Amino acid sequence: MPDLVLEVRGVDKIYGEAETAIYALKNVSFSVKKGEFILIVGSSGSGKSTLLNMIGLLDRPTNGKVFIDGLDTSTLNDNQISSFRNSKLGFIFQFSNLLADLTVLENVVLPRRIQKTDTNAVEEAKLLLKTVGLESQMNKYSNKVSGGQAQRVAICRSLINKPTIVLADEPTGNLDSVSAETTVQLMKSLNRKLGHTFIVVTHDRQQFGDVDKVITIRDGKIIEDEITEIPTIT
Amino acid sequence: MDYRAKVGLRFITRRRGSLIAASLAVAIAILVVQVNVVIFQGLYNAIVRDQINYRFGHVYITRQENFITKSDKMLVNWLERIPYVDAAAPRLDAVASINATGSGQTIRDYSVPVIGVDPVLDTKASTMYKTVGDGQYVSSRNSIVLGAIVARDLGNSHVGDSVKLKFKDRNGVDELRRFTVVGITETAGSVGLDNSVIMNIDTLREILGRPHETQSIMVKLNDPTKDQEVKDLFLRAFPTRSDNFKAQTIEESAETTLSGFRSGIALINLVGYFGMMSSAFAVVTIQMMQVTSKTREIGIMRAIGSRRKDILIIFIFQGMVIGAIGAGLGTIFGVSYTAYAKETHMTFQGSLALEVTYNWLGILQTDILAFLLAVVASIYPAYKATKLQPVEAMRFA
Ligand SMILES: Nc1ncnc2c1ncn2[C@@H]1O[C@H](COP(=O)(O)OP(=O)(O)O)[C@@H](O)[C@H]1O
Ligand SMILES: [Mg+2]
Repeated sequence: MPDLVLEVRGVDKIYGEAETAIYALKNVSFSVKKGEFILIVGSSGSGKSTLLNMIGLLDRPTNGKVFIDGLDTSTLNDNQISSFRNSKLGFIFQFSNLLADLTVLENVVLPRRIQKTDTNAVEEAKLLLKTVGLESQMNKYSNKVSGGQAQRVAICRSLINKPTIVLADEPTGNLDSVSAETTVQLMKSLNRKLGHTFIVVTHDRQQFGDVDKVITIRDGKIIEDEITEIPTIT
Repeated sequence: MDYRAKVGLRFITRRRGSLIAASLAVAIAILVVQVNVVIFQGLYNAIVRDQINYRFGHVYITRQENFITKSDKMLVNWLERIPYVDAAAPRLDAVASINATGSGQTIRDYSVPVIGVDPVLDTKASTMYKTVGDGQYVSSRNSIVLGAIVARDLGNSHVGDSVKLKFKDRNGVDELRRFTVVGITETAGSVGLDNSVIMNIDTLREILGRPHETQSIMVKLNDPTKDQEVKDLFLRAFPTRSDNFKAQTIEESAETTLSGFRSGIALINLVGYFGMMSSAFAVVTIQMMQVTSKTREIGIMRAIGSRRKDILIIFIFQGMVIGAIGAGLGTIFGVSYTAYAKETHMTFQGSLALEVTYNWLGILQTDILAFLLAVVASIYPAYKATKLQPVEAMRFA
C-alpha cells in the first residue's frame, strides 16, 4: 500500500501504574492515506491529544505500533525521532506555538535551520507567509501578532519542510469564530493545493464541514469511522 | 549564525533582567578578585618598594657573618662603573640606648636600632633622606635624625634638641655620646624607620671602634631586572675566600619580610575565588529560572526537531554570553578600580601608599576563569532542559 502514510496498530497508552493506571488509549487502530484530511473528534479528556502525541512521536505508546510512510517508528532512537519529526511531520498546537523571541519569519524558517538545509528557506518561508496573507507581519516578533495570525504562522512553519503529515491539536480552540473559520479554510485549501496529509484534533466537528474521514474517540477507544467522500480535484 | 546560538542569544538578551543579574554576578566576582589584587598585591609591592628604597637596594652586599673590611669607597666606585648601577652606598647598623634630658629630667632610656649612613652616597642610593619631614638629613659628625616614634617617646624631641646615646663598642665597653637632632623621619608603613635613628656612618665607625668597616652596601640599579647580573658580576670580581662576600637580590634579601605576606596574599586570593564560586551559584540559579521560563519553547523546539544536544547547546551558549558580558563588565569595573587606586595613590589609614600596577595577564586569567565558571554553571540547567519531554513541556499553556 504505497499511498498509506500512517498506520496505527493496536495502540494502548497507559498513564500511571497499577490501581491508578489510566487507559488514555485502548487498542486504537486506523490508517490514513496520502493527502487525506482527517478529523479526530471527541469530548474533553477522551484521549484525542494523547493519540495525536503518539502519531507525532512526541510520546511512545505503551503497546502497539505507529507506522509512518511504512516505517515502524518504534525502531527509531531519540535523535532519529527528532530528525523524523523535523522532516516528516508538521505541528500546529492549540496555544501559542511560536517562539516569542523570534520574528514571524524566523519562526517559519526554524525547522529548516534545524534541518540544516537553509538554502532558499527564507524565500520559501516568505512565499508561504504571502499565501496566508502575513507578508507584512513577517519581521514582527511573534508575540506581537494576534492569535489568529499566530496560528497561520504556525501553519506556515508546519509546512516549510514539506512534511508527510501535518498534525494539529485543536488549532482553532483558542480563536474567535472569524479567525477560526479562516484557519480552517486555510488548512483545507492548503491540503487540497499542496497535497499534504492533515490530521486535526477538534471538539468542534461542525467547524470543518466536509472532510475525508472523521475518527471519533470516547474513553480512549475509537467508536466509529465516518468516511466522507469529497470530489477529487486533480 | 547557527540557529542554536541565535535562539540562545535571543532567549537571554530578551530577558534583560536575567542577563543583567547573571552578568553582574560574574562581573562582581571579577571585581572582588581585582580589588583584592590591587590592595594586597599593591601592599606587597609597596613593601618591596620600601625595602629597596630604604634598606636593601636592588642588590644587597654583605659579608658572611662579619663586617666588610675592604674600603667602602673602593667598592662603591667599582660598583658604580657597572652601567646598570645608579648608585651604591655603605651602611653600618648598631644598637644603642637613647635618652634625652628635658627640663632637668631624663626621659626614657631604651634601645633603638641605629643606622649609620654616608650623608652623600646615601642620598643617591636610597630615598631614606626623603622621609625627613621636619629638619634635614644627617650631615655633620654629631648630627642625628630621629624616627618619629623615637622622637615622640623621648617627650617630643624637636630639631635642635640634644640626645644622648650609649653604645657598646666592639670590646663591650660603654661609649656615651651626645648628638644634636637635625631631623625627624616620618614614614607610612612597616619598614621600621620610625623606630630607628640615623647618624653619620663615620661617627658610628669611630664609636664602635671599627674604622673603615662596613656592614652592607646597598646598590641601586637603573634597570631592576638586571639584579642577578650585577650580583654575579660582583661575586665574580671579588671571589677570594678572605672577602667572603655575600650578594643578594631584593627577592633574597627581603625574603623573610615577604614570605609571610605572600602566604597571606594566597589566602586572600582564595577568598576571592570563593566569591567566584558563589557567583557561579548565582548563574546556576538564574539559568534554572531561565530554563523553567522557557519550558514551552523547549517543548516546541523539540517537537519540530531539535535534539537534546541542541537544547543543551542553546543553554550552554547562554552561559557563554553571560560569561562574556560578565567578564567584559568585570574587566571594566576592575580596571577602573585599579586606575582609581593608582591615580589616588590609595592608602589605608596612614599605611604606606599602595604600589598599584596593571597586571593584564592576571586580569585575563581571572576573566577566563570567570567565563569558564559561567559556562560550567550553565551545564546543569542546560542538562535539565534536555530532560524536558516535548509533551510535558507543551502542557504549559
Ligand atoms: N501525562 C499524563 N499523565 C496522566 N494522565 C494523563 C496524562 N496525559 C493525559 N492524561 C489523561 O489521559 C486522558 C486523555 O487525555 P487527553 O488525551 O489530553 O484528552 P483530550 O485531548 O481528548 O482532551 C485524560 O483522562 C487525561 O487526564
Ligand atoms: Mg487535548
